[in-house]
Amino acid sequence: MFKQLGYSFHADDCIGCKACEIACKNENQTPTNIRWRKVTKTSGDFFLSVSCNHCDNPECFRVCPERAFTKRQDGIVEIDENRCTGCQLCVSACPYSAPQFDPETHKVSKCQMCYPRQDAGLPPACVEACTTGALKLVDLNTFSDPEAVRTLPGFPNIKITSPSIVFYPEKPRKRYFIK
Amino acid sequence: MFSMKDGIYRNTCPRNCYGTCGILSHVKNGRLIKVTGDPEHGYSKGSLCAKGYAFTQYVYSPERIKYPMVQCPRGSGKWKRISWEEAYTTISLKMIELNQRYGSNLASGYNKFSGNLGLLHYATEGMFNSIGPHTKPIGNPCALTGKLAMNRSFGESFSSVPEDMAGSKLIVLWGANPAVTNVHQMKFINEARQKGAHLVVIDPIFTQTAKKADLYIQIHPGTDRLLADGIAKLIIEKQEHSLEFLEEQTTGWPEYKHYLENQMTIKEVCKQTGIELEALIELSELYGRIKPVSTWAGLGVQRNSLGSDSISAINSLAAVTGNLFIPNGGLYFMHFDVDDFPCALKNHKGPLHPTISEPREVDISDFASNALQLTEPPLKFLWIASRNITQDHNLKAWSDLFQELELIVTVDLYMTKTAEKSDIVLPAATHFEEEDLNVGYWHYWLSINQKAIPPYYEAKSDLQIARELTTKLNELSPGFSNFPATKEPIDWIKGELTPEIMDLYALNSYKDLLQRPYQKNIEKNFSTKRKNFHLFAANGKKNQMRERQAEPNGYQLITPQALLKIHSQYEALTWLHGRQDESYIELSAEAAQRNDINDQEKIAVFNDQGQIIGVAKINSHLPKNIILAHQAGNNPINQLIIQQNKKDDVSTYFYDSIVYIRKWSEANV
Repeated sequence: MFKQLGYSFHADDCIGCKACEIACKNENQTPTNIRWRKVTKTSGDFFLSVSCNHCDNPECFRVCPERAFTKRQDGIVEIDENRCTGCQLCVSACPYSAPQFDPETHKVSKCQMCYPRQDAGLPPACVEACTTGALKLVDLNTFSDPEAVRTLPGFPNIKITSPSIVFYPEKPRKRYFIK
Repeated sequence: MFSMKDGIYRNTCPRNCYGTCGILSHVKNGRLIKVTGDPEHGYSKGSLCAKGYAFTQYVYSPERIKYPMVQCPRGSGKWKRISWEEAYTTISLKMIELNQRYGSNLASGYNKFSGNLGLLHYATEGMFNSIGPHTKPIGNPCALTGKLAMNRSFGESFSSVPEDMAGSKLIVLWGANPAVTNVHQMKFINEARQKGAHLVVIDPIFTQTAKKADLYIQIHPGTDRLLADGIAKLIIEKQEHSLEFLEEQTTGWPEYKHYLENQMTIKEVCKQTGIELEALIELSELYGRIKPVSTWAGLGVQRNSLGSDSISAINSLAAVTGNLFIPNGGLYFMHFDVDDFPCALKNHKGPLHPTISEPREVDISDFASNALQLTEPPLKFLWIASRNITQDHNLKAWSDLFQELELIVTVDLYMTKTAEKSDIVLPAATHFEEEDLNVGYWHYWLSINQKAIPPYYEAKSDLQIARELTTKLNELSPGFSNFPATKEPIDWIKGELTPEIMDLYALNSYKDLLQRPYQKNIEKNFSTKRKNFHLFAANGKKNQMRERQAEPNGYQLITPQALLKIHSQYEALTWLHGRQDESYIELSAEAAQRNDINDQEKIAVFNDQGQIIGVAKINSHLPKNIILAHQAGNNPINQLIIQQNKKDDVSTYFYDSIVYIRKWSEANV
């Protein structure tokens, strides 16, 4: 593969503002209940912003009986909705709840990393929307930063699919509460 | 219907928010297909917030009001679609009849606040001005206390340039929560932190911003004044104050110093604020030894009756450390530079009345209660625009006032609780459907708002409504209004851009604004030669803090802003909000235990104003004497909020109300 496009997520810089999540809806005009990207609060009281992680070993790709998923040369995992029969095997198989089943169309859709925008030289909508720069686009084939880590507490097991995302953990902080 | 050209238009978010963000609106076949942030906007820099990215849903939501409607009887829910012509005729006939009955237009009035802050939305004010003396709201329920405190400190309004915070070495936020209410500021704060700056948050609530702070200090509400004075005292004791600045550029230094040295003790500060000595020392060392320091006196500080003194004391602390007028230091609150503009609609001069020289003014921070006192004539017709009165306090007075009114007209985009109680609703345009000009109150950017799409069904802008209603009034009663109804929106925009304004913003023509937003020349804020900052010595005020909390079993009610709403705006959007009403009531573990309440259990929150039912959520970081509730929703918490002993010239003290809680059961309904 020429590239392995992925995300870097800085837990310290994410303020949980959900701009990425709604910017995705704005760009892709997905129905209300379809969330290609979701911001959640972990039990560690920091936020995660997670979409399809365009994995190295995508489970969706492996389990789909219709071969609806493809992995592009740049690493983006695509779904061809015309092939999807709505069996939802991918929905159960994905550790990150990336494939989203729409009961109205009976099809699965998911984050395609805004490849039409990327093809036009623009960042994905979620990355552009991130005002603090917590969410960034990286090429994991060339990415290297000793401070980055492969996972954070609260993120699903990465061993099955090897997701294309790296993280920066939160720094310790000092707090004085009224006693 | 005419169709706008496909393409990208420049819009500005007109919400009552720090961002006043630049928007690029992507339009195809006359429809808004998506929005992106305007990369030319120097503050929002190409991003929007979650609410902003939901604008396509906001514009085309089926919940929007489509047509003028009349409800008979009022409050019955029996709405009937009427034409604009019919609406204008009904309203005009009532206004003319009231004028004949009372010999003036004082029985007609309006209540308008911050639903849309665009300059052309002063059309409501202009429309009423154009009929001569009438009844009008004055003041600012949100920020007046802080504004006046700023004026006392600086002699004018003052707020540093937000982008400059990125160069600070220490950022101290008092009662401000930008991670929720001002998300774009967080990038400047993060930039400073990445360069080694410290972020300190002082707040009674462990907010999202507090969680991001390098140092968080929890404080009892209303005691910020003591903390600021305590820090200043420690700094002066250690000789870390900026003596030269204090002696040369301030007034009141001897009195202030005397007060800090002789009339207050650190022990008292710790006791009143709830802050341990170690934290106080740590904060005073940061303030005393680091430069430049940005200090932000947040709106939350002035939502209680001690807020004015607190803001003055925070300003004085920034002065003691010599940070007021240095680059990347400064003091943040908000500014009122919209007053630089002619605001021609707001200041429109109406026809003279033979005996009444002025409009009748009503303080907006207790509008209903004040309006009820009016006689000769009483208020009989109320026009409500850019306003949902369930976000006010003293809702009982509103209910009484509505009973006295013969006609209530509400202009809004959605069927708000105010619209539900009106006789006539008129569908308002979104900012994508009208022209406007927008000035921030936090950053210093000026931006235009183009008409990008045709109106949703029969929606109209406040300006268009003013033009058409005044035309109808004159048709039925010649000379009733002197509103310049033939003036187009672009003429009003050009009128605001006087040579002085163009010079201030380095503009050559309004057309420049079609290319990008422009920033005001703000050198005055940097001037190191400013003089006469007034230091605040809180003589004789030392013991009022804890006495306020003397109410046994009572809890102080705090109702902060939510991330995905602005007060009650955006509630109807399913992209942002689930179907169920999220009426969580947050309480401390201790309060829960004391009242035998479990997490997720239904509870009643009540006081002499009423009762609301919500779901208990135990917040382990909430001080034990505070109840936290979210604004708006189906059963607005503001029903329990009332500011007793209302004085003139202050904000509404939304955080001063006391409530009680109990486990909810059918038996005590």
